[in-house]
Amino acid sequence: MANEADQIVNTEEAAVENEINAEAETTETAAETVIAENVETVTETAESTEENAVDAAYQVENYAKEAIEHESTLSEAQIKALSKKRISKGELKRQWILLAIGFIFVLYGLLFYYLPLGGWIMAFQNYKLKTGLFHSKFVGFDKFKFMFEFDVFEWGMETTGNFFKAMKIWIDKVVFVRAIRNTLGMGILNLATTFIMAIVFAILLNEVKNKLGKRLVQTISYLPHFLSWIIVCGIVHDSLSGTGIVNELLRLFHIVDDSYNFFAHPGWFWPIVAFANVWKETGWNAIIYLAAITAIDPSLYEAAEIDGAGRWGKIRYITLPSIAPTIVILLVMNLGNLLNCGFEVQYLLGNGLVQDVAQTIDIYVLNWGVGQMDYSLGTAAGIFKSVVAIILILIFNTVAKKLGQESLF
Amino acid sequence: MKMKKFIALGMAGMLSAATLVGCDKGGATTPTPTPDDNGGSTATSTTTPDDGGDVVVEEEKEYSEDEIVNWTMFIAMPGSEINDGNDVQEIIAKKTGVRVKETWLTGQTAAEAVGSILASGELPTFIDAGEGFKELYEADTLVAWDPYLEKYPNLKEMYSDYEWDMFRQDDGKIYWANVFNNTYGESKATGHNDEAFWIQVRVLEEFGYPEVKTLDDYFDLLEKYYAAHPNFVDPEGNTIDIIPYTILCDDWRYFCLENAGQFLDGYPNDGSVIVDPKTMKIVDYNTTPTTKTYFAKLNEEYNKGMIDKEFATQKYDDYISKLSTGAVLGMVDQNWDFNYTITPAFASSGLADLGCEYVPLGLTVEGVTEQRWHTYGDTVNASSGCAVTTSCEDPDRAFKFLSDLLNQDIHDLRYWGVEGVDYLVDEDGMYYRTQEMRDKLNDTSYKASHVCNYSYMPQWLGTSKDGKNAMQPAEQASEFYAGLSEPLANCFKAYNAGGYPDMIGSVEEDVNATHPWFPMWSWSNELNNDTPGGVAWGKMGETKHKWLPAVVMSKDFEGEWAKYMDAYSACKPEDFLNEAQGVLDDRMAAYNASK
Repeated sequence: MANEADQIVNTEEAAVENEINAEAETTETAAETVIAENVETVTETAESTEENAVDAAYQVENYAKEAIEHESTLSEAQIKALSKKRISKGELKRQWILLAIGFIFVLYGLLFYYLPLGGWIMAFQNYKLKTGLFHSKFVGFDKFKFMFEFDVFEWGMETTGNFFKAMKIWIDKVVFVRAIRNTLGMGILNLATTFIMAIVFAILLNEVKNKLGKRLVQTISYLPHFLSWIIVCGIVHDSLSGTGIVNELLRLFHIVDDSYNFFAHPGWFWPIVAFANVWKETGWNAIIYLAAITAIDPSLYEAAEIDGAGRWGKIRYITLPSIAPTIVILLVMNLGNLLNCGFEVQYLLGNGLVQDVAQTIDIYVLNWGVGQMDYSLGTAAGIFKSVVAIILILIFNTVAKKLGQESLF
Repeated sequence: MKMKKFIALGMAGMLSAATLVGCDKGGATTPTPTPDDNGGSTATSTTTPDDGGDVVVEEEKEYSEDEIVNWTMFIAMPGSEINDGNDVQEIIAKKTGVRVKETWLTGQTAAEAVGSILASGELPTFIDAGEGFKELYEADTLVAWDPYLEKYPNLKEMYSDYEWDMFRQDDGKIYWANVFNNTYGESKATGHNDEAFWIQVRVLEEFGYPEVKTLDDYFDLLEKYYAAHPNFVDPEGNTIDIIPYTILCDDWRYFCLENAGQFLDGYPNDGSVIVDPKTMKIVDYNTTPTTKTYFAKLNEEYNKGMIDKEFATQKYDDYISKLSTGAVLGMVDQNWDFNYTITPAFASSGLADLGCEYVPLGLTVEGVTEQRWHTYGDTVNASSGCAVTTSCEDPDRAFKFLSDLLNQDIHDLRYWGVEGVDYLVDEDGMYYRTQEMRDKLNDTSYKASHVCNYSYMPQWLGTSKDGKNAMQPAEQASEFYAGLSEPLANCFKAYNAGGYPDMIGSVEEDVNATHPWFPMWSWSNELNNDTPGGVAWGKMGETKHKWLPAVVMSKDFEGEWAKYMDAYSACKPEDFLNEAQGVLDDRMAAYNASK
């Protein structure tokens, strides 16, 4: 949470700084002083505790808006002149600390995010450990062709002539395509369930009046977050096994006569994974929403009360709209992680019978990339995953912008 | 105001710097078991490092603590780690100057584990990479044995020149040597370490030790026993429901389900294919009538409720814990996959006295008279073994250590233990143990603190260099019989069997003479995406993994089998079989040329 909030603060702060730079050279307007002071308060707020970070984000964002308004008071010609102007030496001197800090981050990004991308070249080679990155043979898109087996799809189109039927054949027959289906399916299901549950849980918790009870529930609910997946999967596996508590109860209430084997039926696999995710992450994810709710001005609630809003009305007209920006931002960021919906859960809970719905892209990389010593194939699958993630973010970000909501960029 | 701004910015800078440092640390501080090399240079020299005159130089040099090097070994098989400061390990360290910390496979397949070792660049000093050796070899991470074989006759002696040649890689060098199945002098084998249909002794006892030859006989017995005893009371007073038969099909261990077809037809464990010795042609056991009969039988038994309902979804740990309650009457498995855990567990829980221990049966289908579940003769599996990696700073010392391990005194320490503590010697020079010693050695915590086998380093089976004892206690006739629980001993007596192989009753033939290509799995284990056959092999594995449990659990066997066969043929098994035929032809050509 802290990271996400920091990120927001950083982007917004940068935006504000830019505005300042743009205006620094111009005549001292009243606006500038206002903004400069605002920045200071914001920086101070950002330094304070984590809970306030989200708060701070909103403040920054408000000031940013203010700044834009001020900027619009400048004439078009002035702006044109500004954008042509180069940064002077004096300016560099004045801002050297900021530049130094910025440089560290640029370096960090280059070293840890961009340099490793060079390894992507493996996907277009027949990479062998012996020949290494520089002497392996280039094979173009062969690895991608091997993964997707487009000919199966074409064959499907030819025989059925129906796109959807051909898709179905493709998914049935080609492991990687199936892995994409599973990854997307489980990703969306997990995102939807954990996301909605966290918001509902945060709102419910907010309505609890007893302070001790609230704290207790909150603490207990986020404890599972600190368990590793192997332990969570062990618990899930045991409780759903033939002698586990679930079957025990089902038998007790005569819903089933003999133990039901949940892991033998492909239909149950996705819901089980989603449930495990919800159980583990709901409490943790709710924290950020709780923080956002705390930041809502109490006078709004009072006003609503005077207008005759009940509990439900207050939730609907005050709480939800107030945390909507947080929800959208988090949704955009989580969409990028959609394809990272899992490796451990599926790997640990899966078995031969349900492998058709359990294999994710990550498991494919493990089985066919690492397991079959075909590192190029693993890289190709990884590239595909990244590309899809970027497309997803771009799409949703545009949608959010169009709807007038917050967006990442 | 300006000042305040500066301070705030400075703080922000420090914070981000701290984050960066934190990140870097997080990435780099994975515990590295760096070999302690403070003895690396001194230990090989024979002079004593002390300059004091009153040092008594013993005949057999004892290494002091700072001369001992601490090395590591990774074994791509599951196993249990021994404690630091293990008694026997310390004695061996003093005698050889080397202490090796062994780590084992946990929750991954061998190929995955080796892949991640290579990716991290942190190689252990010694390694048994199992299926992952080709990768290690291709990455140039192994030290060749060749120069050291001449230097250390102990090592050279392990194999004949022809056998050593089997270990040679494309570049003509030897990088690893298999340590198992190697008999010194006369064979004393009493164990069966391979696959079989296993059955609890009490089932055989109940029906007066009948002859069990076919699959039908076997399931008849299980059914009759289960009808008479749906549950039993264990020594602790718990009532335990009997599971007549279970099948392990977790990940790579699904051989317990898939490959019985080749044995039921009377062929030995070539692993991935059947080789017809008459025509020298490869036969795919997945599609033979016998395999279909076998799965039809399993399906029938499943629908009768004889097979564990959860067999398809159980993990290896579930399986082992089921077996160790004594509930499971029978299953197919490799001895090494369960018995090293189950035998001691049964001994300590008292289930052994109830007749819960397993004996192997050599089953066939109707009409097949000969079977080869047990392989007689040393088979050389050239695809894996013990290797020294390039992370070893003093390879010569490493190979000297491997050679030292084969010295009879150290070999005795590894397998028999400490004289007077773990075994006694009678007036004829025969080693024996008292019951108290055996009980102690069955105790897992004692084993962890006292016994150090170095079980994946060079070792011998067969007769000790003294010409009387067995190299390993399990093969010492007196120990073998004395170590048996009463029900097990009665069973062996009833069938007039001198050991586990006699229980199976396979054709007694030296596999090296009759099956010179054997085993084909040493080739198929190394397959990868480089060849169409390797791709087909990967797909066949995935398909079988999904369909075989489904076939067994199906209500409509024929229909499900037909669907399975469709899915199976879509994997292009012919690519794999053709490659197998090529390898078989090559091996036979090499064999005929060497004759």
